[in-house]
Formats: sequence, C-alpha cells, structure tokens
Amino acid sequence: MAADKRTARLGVLALVATLLFGLVGARLWFLQTVEQEALQEKVNTTKLRTVPLLPERGRIFDADGRIVADNERVLTVAVDWQVIRRSDDRAEIFRRLSGWVDVPVEEMEARFDSQVYSPFLPMPIAEDIDERTATALKERVEDLPGVTIIEESRRVYPYAPLASHVVGYMGRITAETKDVYQDAGYYLNERVGQFGIELSMEEELHGNWGSVTYEVDNASRIVREVSLTPPINGNDVQLTIDLDQQQYAEQALETQLRRRSLEYSTNPLDPETKFQTLVFPDYPRQVPFKAPAGAVVVQNHDNGHVIALASYPTFDNRWFESDLSGGKFEEIFPSVDEFGEPIDPDESILVNRAIQGRYNLGSTFKPFTAYAALNTGLLSVNDYYVDQGNYRMTSVPDDQCDAGLVRCVYKNATCSGTGRSCVYGAVDVETALAVSSDAFFYRVGELLMTENDYQPVLQEQVRLFGFGADTGIDLPFEFDGTVPDAELKAEYAELGVISEAEGAGYYTGDNVQLAIGQGLLSASPLQLAVGYSTIANHGFVMKPEIIKAIYEPGVPDALEPGFADISQARLAVEPNIDGEVVRQISMPQAIHTEISEGLRRVIQGPGTTSDFYHSTTGEKLFYFYPRSAIPVAGKTGTAQGAGNYPWNDSSAFAAYSRDPARPYTVTAYLEKSGYGSQGAGPVVKCMFLQLSGIAPTDPVVLSDPLDAESEVAAGPKRLADTSCYDGRFSNVRTTE
Amino acid sequence: MATSFLSRKADSGLGNIRASPADPSRNIDWVLMSVQFVLTAMGFFVVFSASRTRISDDPYAFATRQVVFAIIAVVVMFIVMAFDYEWWKDRAAFLYGVTLVLLTLLFLLGVAAGEDKISFDLGPFNFQPAELAKFTTLLMLAAYLSEERSEEVTYARFLGGLMIVGAPAVLVIIQPDLGSASVLVSMAMGVLLVAGAKARYIALITFLSIATVMAAFVGRLVNSYQAARIRALINPDAASGDDLYQAENAMRAIGTGGIWGKGWLEGPLTNGRDIPVMWADFPFAAIGEQFGLVGASVVLGLIAIALVRIWRIAHLARDLLGLYLCAGVFSMLLWQTFQNVAMTLQIMPVTGLPLPFISYGGSGLIVYFAMFGLVQSVHMRRMR
Repeated sequence: MAADKRTARLGVLALVATLLFGLVGARLWFLQTVEQEALQEKVNTTKLRTVPLLPERGRIFDADGRIVADNERVLTVAVDWQVIRRSDDRAEIFRRLSGWVDVPVEEMEARFDSQVYSPFLPMPIAEDIDERTATALKERVEDLPGVTIIEESRRVYPYAPLASHVVGYMGRITAETKDVYQDAGYYLNERVGQFGIELSMEEELHGNWGSVTYEVDNASRIVREVSLTPPINGNDVQLTIDLDQQQYAEQALETQLRRRSLEYSTNPLDPETKFQTLVFPDYPRQVPFKAPAGAVVVQNHDNGHVIALASYPTFDNRWFESDLSGGKFEEIFPSVDEFGEPIDPDESILVNRAIQGRYNLGSTFKPFTAYAALNTGLLSVNDYYVDQGNYRMTSVPDDQCDAGLVRCVYKNATCSGTGRSCVYGAVDVETALAVSSDAFFYRVGELLMTENDYQPVLQEQVRLFGFGADTGIDLPFEFDGTVPDAELKAEYAELGVISEAEGAGYYTGDNVQLAIGQGLLSASPLQLAVGYSTIANHGFVMKPEIIKAIYEPGVPDALEPGFADISQARLAVEPNIDGEVVRQISMPQAIHTEISEGLRRVIQGPGTTSDFYHSTTGEKLFYFYPRSAIPVAGKTGTAQGAGNYPWNDSSAFAAYSRDPARPYTVTAYLEKSGYGSQGAGPVVKCMFLQLSGIAPTDPVVLSDPLDAESEVAAGPKRLADTSCYDGRFSNVRTTE
Repeated sequence: MATSFLSRKADSGLGNIRASPADPSRNIDWVLMSVQFVLTAMGFFVVFSASRTRISDDPYAFATRQVVFAIIAVVVMFIVMAFDYEWWKDRAAFLYGVTLVLLTLLFLLGVAAGEDKISFDLGPFNFQPAELAKFTTLLMLAAYLSEERSEEVTYARFLGGLMIVGAPAVLVIIQPDLGSASVLVSMAMGVLLVAGAKARYIALITFLSIATVMAAFVGRLVNSYQAARIRALINPDAASGDDLYQAENAMRAIGTGGIWGKGWLEGPLTNGRDIPVMWADFPFAAIGEQFGLVGASVVLGLIAIALVRIWRIAHLARDLLGLYLCAGVFSMLLWQTFQNVAMTLQIMPVTGLPLPFISYGGSGLIVYFAMFGLVQSVHMRRMR
C-alpha cells in the first residue's frame, strides 16, 4: 500500500480521536470550572428521603371461600418526628391538631413519650379519622408542618365472632416480642398476630415492606423519585374450617352448656350407711352443674383436616381492632373477679380449649388401653374377665393392702338402679368397652405393668396415638398433653403438684388409674380426636391440618358478598391434599374389629346382662338416632373433678363415622357437666346429625357491626332447634 | 525464534551477537508499556477509593483482586508479545470459533436459567466472553482482510468482514450487552476504514448498527434499565429512578472536584453510596472528584499518549496485518474511553462499558493487556 494512502486513512482515525478527546475535554473543563459551584450547591442541598410502603396483610378464608379476615382502609393522622423534637414546637402542633382530631394534647404527649412507635415512621396521632377531617388537614398543610395523612389498613372479621379462637386476633408488638419482630424487619408501629391463625401464619400473612426513595431539596420538596421497591403483599390463607360446621359446633356447644347449667347433679346416698346419709353431707341433695366451658373438634379422619374447632367461652375478635380503653378491656376480658381475686380459670376466655385444654379423658381413653393390651398380646379377643363391681389388685401382698399402705381396691362407678357399683359379670374387650367396665380395665392396667417387668408398656402404646405430645396443628400455644410415668411424677413432685412421697415412683396403682383415663393423664380434645381418628382409619396418625391452602396475594372477591373467588386464586404453596401421616401404627384387622365393635355397641347396643340388663353407655342417647344419619362408633368418658364431687365431673365424648364416604371424627368436652352421655354426648350426636344433613342448621351470615356498648366478649350463640339433643332415656342410666 | 527475547542471555560486555537492532526484544515500545503500567497502577488506587466504603468486611477486597488481575494480565501480555503476530494470525480462526461457541453457550445457559447472562461464573473470577471477543474478532478480521493484498476493500470482502464482526456482535447484543457490541462495531469501522473501505461501506455499517440497536429495542432484547438509561439521556425531565440519579451524581462528583480535586479519599460522593458500582462503571467520576481537572487530564493524557503510540506503530507496521491490528486496537481504546468518560459527563447514555486499565474487572484488563501485547508484537517485529 502506498504510504500516503495509509497516512491519509490513519489521519482520519487521528482526526476522529482528536474530535472525541476535544469534546470530552471541553465538557470536563466546563463541568469542573464553570459548573463547579452550581453542582456543589446541588450536592449540598439534595437529600434523600425514604418512605416505607406498607404491604397489605393476607386475608383468611374458610374452606368454602368465606372471607373470615379482611382488611379495611383507614386514615391515620401522623406527624414527622423531626418537627416535634423540640418541646415548644411539639406543644404548638399538638395544640393545633387537637381540635381537629378530637384527641387531647395530653394523650398526644403520652404517645410521644411511650416509646412504642417506630422512629422510622411518622408518629401516629389519631387513627381512623374520617375523610372530611383528612381533607381539611391536608388543606392546612402550612399551619401543620410535618403532619401527614397515612393510608393504613385495619383488620376486619366479617363473620366474627365465629371461629374467633381459630382465626385469632392482632395487637401491638409487645416489649417481649420487640426484638424478634425488629430482626424480621418489622416496624414497631405494626400490629402483628397475637393469637390463632393470625399469629401462627404471621409470616405468610404479613408480606414485605417496600419503600420509595425521593430526592428532596432544602425545603423538603420532592425533586424526583430515586427508587421504588414495591411492597409485597402477604399471602392469603385458606382454612380447612368450614363455617357451616363451625357455627353449628359453637352453637351446639354453648346451647348444651347452658342446658346443663340448669340441670342438677344428685348428691348420692351413702350405701355404707344403708342409704341413710348423703355421701357429701356438706352439700344439698341436688347440686347444679356449673358447665362453664368446653370444646368441640370435628376432624376428617382420612386427611386430618380440622373442619370445626369450637371453644367456649368465646369472644368476638373485633374487640381487638376496636381501640379499647384499658377499663373497657378489663370489663370484657376480666382478669380478676368482683372481689379482686384472679378469675376462675373455668371462665377464662382467651384460651382455645380445643387445643389448650388440659383435660382428664376418663373412659374415652379405654380404647387405647384396649389397644395396648391387644397389641402387646396381653389379651386376645376371646379373653373374659368377670367384673364383680370392683377390682382388687393381685400383685400387692394382702398384708400391705390390709395395713392401708397401698390402695388395692378400685370400684366401678355407681349404678343408679342399685346405688352401688355396677356389676357387669363376664366381659370381653368388646363388651368391656361397650358398657365401660372399669374393673376390666383396672385389671388390664395392673397386668400391663406386672406382666411386662414393670416397663412403661401402656405409656409407649398410647403415645403411638399421639398422647403426650403436641399434634403439630398450625395454631399457637398448643398443649402437649401428659402421659403419666416415673419422670412426669418426679417432675410434678418437684413442682409441688403432688406430694414428695407420691412422686417417688410410678406404681402399679398409677397404671390401674391410667388404664381408665384417670390420674395424671391429660390431653386436649384435639389430641383425643387424633386418637379416635387413628382407630377410625386403621392406624394412620394424621397431623390435624387447619391450613387448606396458601394463595398468592390478591385473591379477588366473589360476587356473593363475604366470599372470595377461590377459582381465581393462584397457589403459593402446593397443598398436601391427602394430609400428612405422622406415623402409621400396627392395627391388625382383629384388633381393629374388636375395638370398633365395642365402640359401635356403645352407640347401638346391646349391653350385657349380669344381675340385670346393663345397657351400653350411649345406647339410650342414640336410641332415636336416625338410620339415615352417619353411622357412628364412639365412647363416653367422665373425668372426676376436684373433690370427687359428682357435679365436678367433666363430660367427654368421642366418636367417629363408620361410613368411609363421610370420614368424620367428632370429640366434645364439657367441663363440670356430669356424665359423658349427658354433657358431651348430645353435642357429638347433634354434630353428626348436622354432618349428616339432618339437623336443621342456621345459615352462616355476615355479622352485624360490633356493639361497642356490649359488656360481654361475645353474644349468645344458640341452636335454633334443640331437638337433636333429645335422648329420651339419657338420664336413667348413670354409669360410665 | 519467537521467544528469543525471553531466553536472552546476560550481556557479556562484548555485546550480544544475537541481539541485532532488528531483534524483536530490542524493539519493545517502552513508552506505550510505561503508559499502560502507570494507568493500571492508578487504577488500583481509583478502584480502592471508589469501593472501600461499600464493602462491609474488607475495604481492600476489590483493589486486591484488581492487583491479582493485573499480574495475570502482564503474564498474558508477555505471552502474546512473545509470538509473532503472524503466529497469532494462523490461530485466528480457531480462537474466533472458540469465542463464538462460548458466546452461544452463555446465551443458552442464560435462557435455561431464565435470566440475562453476561459472564461465566468460575468461582473467584467471572469470565466475560464478550471481552475475549474483542481480541479474537480483531484477530480474525485483520487476518481475513490482510489476505487480500490490495489498497481497496472489495465489496465481497467487505461483506465477509461484516459477517465476521456481525456474528459475535449479535451474540453480545442478545446477552444483552450493547456496550461491548458497540466496541466491536467501532473496531470494525476503524479496521475497515484503514483497509480502504469506501465511505459508503462505512455508512452501511453505521446504518446497520443503528438498525440493530433499534431492533434490539423493539425486540425487547435491551434490558429495561438500558432502555431507561437511553431515555434518561434523551429526555432527563421525563426520566426518573435510579439510572438518572446515578448518572447525575457521577456528573456532580466530577463537577464538584473543580480544578485540583478534593483530595485522595476525600470525595463525599465517592465515599458515599450514591453511585452504584462506581469502581467498575464510574471510576472517572472518582478521579474527577478526588483529583479534579488536573487528575482527569492526566488520565486522559496518558490514554492519549497510548493512542498516539499505537497510531505510530500502525504507521511503522511492516505489513497490512500489523496495520489492521493496530487500527483495531486504536479504535477500540478510543471508543471505549470516550464512551465511558462521556457517560460519566452525561453526554452519552449509561452503558456498562469499563474505562480501560482503570475500571475494576479482570476480563477487561486481561484483554486490553493482550491487545497491547499484539501491538507490541507488531512494533517488535516491524524491521524484519
């Protein structure tokens, strides 16, 4: 190539380079000399202001898509911390604001001093102001520097007080939880779940804060938006609870408790004195039942889904969103009675007894004892024992018994027909369950210990059903339950619950008591339901599931008011439709048949004849139970209460459907309500009639606004039609 | 012997008879190399000042890694220099092919992962094939054009050259990395211009480039942030958000530096967090704020000296291959410097193009050292 051409072409490149460098150089010079001061001024005056953006909390739906927890927009007046830092500025602004929002200056000052508000968000002055006040305040922005109107949301519960214990409620972040929530990125002003699903699903429901960052000038005017991180709304949660069943369960429970509180327990005549005196001479012949509290659980025993979970006394969770004063709160949720004593735990409201109840199970526990005996080979299905009305332990030498060192004799419950302990004669496992023979199970309790080298075999076997451990349901504060053994007794002795001497060891007598569900055994109605479900489904211990599905935010409302359109929902987490099997336990057909036949006979009879015909414990209650209804098998239970007074007996009933197409298990527990067949039994029966579609059921409707003048935690919930309770002969037979 | 200068014996005092004046080892352009080393060393300090406040655990993390990259880069450069550029020309097709495979692979991996992908993650080091493409495409194009010993580029050969550049450029665009693609195009323009392409051919490239960028916009191959950056430049008032904010802050950092600058580690904007990824994208702003017009001029002056030296070597090159290689390196260095500095000064839209030798980044540094190695190779062997 000729050198001149090369030079010419390279010359073009050099020219381009010179031009570009010239351009850059000129601009550089211009910026760094001419523009320098102006740019420095801008740098000095521009600041960034970041405003957090609130995520919308996820909603909660029932199994049918009813919106049981929703959000409502509210306007809050708030003021920037900057402008109220100095006390005289603060006093001035508070004084000006006070008239507008109807909040006394003192209360604003109290808020300022309270330390409960986030320093990163404006301090709220008044919540839930009306639109007109908000507009008026916005127009007076010159007089009220730093005052802003914030759009926030408030929780509303359209079907309250239904399922309040399950749905739960929200409240301020407390001093104890402050650190946890701050670490999770919460602001201190936020309200968080305090109970129920609101608490257990807090992480799903809450969502994440977003933020918008503005560049502002000297006068705090927004120059431009620098960055925007949109908030991520919380996921929507659908419960397995069906409000149709939930409402019925709550009504049936409350109605029955009210009925029982109008009925009397008989102070029995003492057979020792030839029926001349009362057993409890300090009390009248008739003592009313207290029937203060109870719980109902309805579970699908195929997949573990909890369909209803009722607890009484109940409350309206809207109280927690209504900005109650301290005095009003104490009136509605009293912590002390009229004499200033701590309130009777029987009457505590903010306890979900279905999962938190520490209940003695009484005879509802016997099927598990029967399982332990059959499964370990201690008994076979043809083994008989002659029930003579009481049981004397055989493993303790007579001299110790006679000296009164050990309690050796355990009696059956009293037959009202004779006033003495019932005598059932020869019974096998099936019949022992059907008539609830204590003596039979006393013997099983002793032999399970003595024939197994005093190892805790009964405990191991019943723990298989989930007793003594929480069920893992997604609700907070679940009670673990207790299965008595040497460790538990030692622990209780340490705590002073039982005496040192009693806590020294686990004795045969303890096992005899445990066999019939008395003693230190305790469980929640939910645990009882899980146990019966395991019998019903041939050995699958299912985790009681209360979350049906978790959806991405923004499930739209349905046309029908109060419902969400679940068909439009997108799943956030793939749900486990078949449920979660906690464990599968060995349940050979022979064992299952023996136990389930016994439980079927509890409902359908027949009983057994010894001195006379003894009907089964549920036979009369279910005498008029229609053939078209779900066929059930179940068991009564009566837990002895304080002082062994009959009016302190708590009533338990557990039953499951024998129809594979309608796989329900229902348990009910009514505190201080007498025999199982009298207190809890009718509730379970009614519930099955409802599940069968036979019992008349009130439609579930959106509730009226909360009556702020009310003085009770929740209004009455009663069954409109109580004919399902009708057992006609239910109070003739009184033994368990 | 290509590697003779590496095995050169100690001078006996009688003169090394193997070291004739034309010996490659005696013809290294020390000015170019010095400029390059000074710029790289300045880069360590700039990277340190621009990154130290942004890393919570180790303020030296980026600067230290940059030193390691520089050491690797020097080794690579000497390896490139050690071989005659004719030797590299013989391997141009192979290297070019490898580059295309890597770019395709990267695209496929990105598609598989459902994300934009511009680098391979090699543990401690992210390897960007787009940087490699600058070196190999130049080699391939120069090799291809020098086949024809003519003063003019025929239309057919022009089209062939266009395809050589077009293939990697399109793959780079869909990554999407418009900045690197623009470097490839600028290189092609420089080489073709020197090779004697007619003005209308150059116009065609320009048109094609613009059309490609438009197509990338329409086909949504451009990241939303890239689109926003370009819109921000065209109409600053309508733009909002991060992009404008960071560019504006970069400009403010430079402007407030004034003539003498605020001093080493004294720049509030450099120390703050207002300019994201400053150590890679806006090192020039850090220079401007801390060292003022003087410091910025020194850096630009050094790059100018490098350009002059490369331009001179292009003149001295003994053959067309050497000329084209130098023209390509010249064009790339010029364009990349201009683009990075001009975006900092807000006369060009923001792209992620690093400032050569100064910006943090291993791939970029190593490739520039390799390309300077090629230029040195041309210089060293100009007298044979």
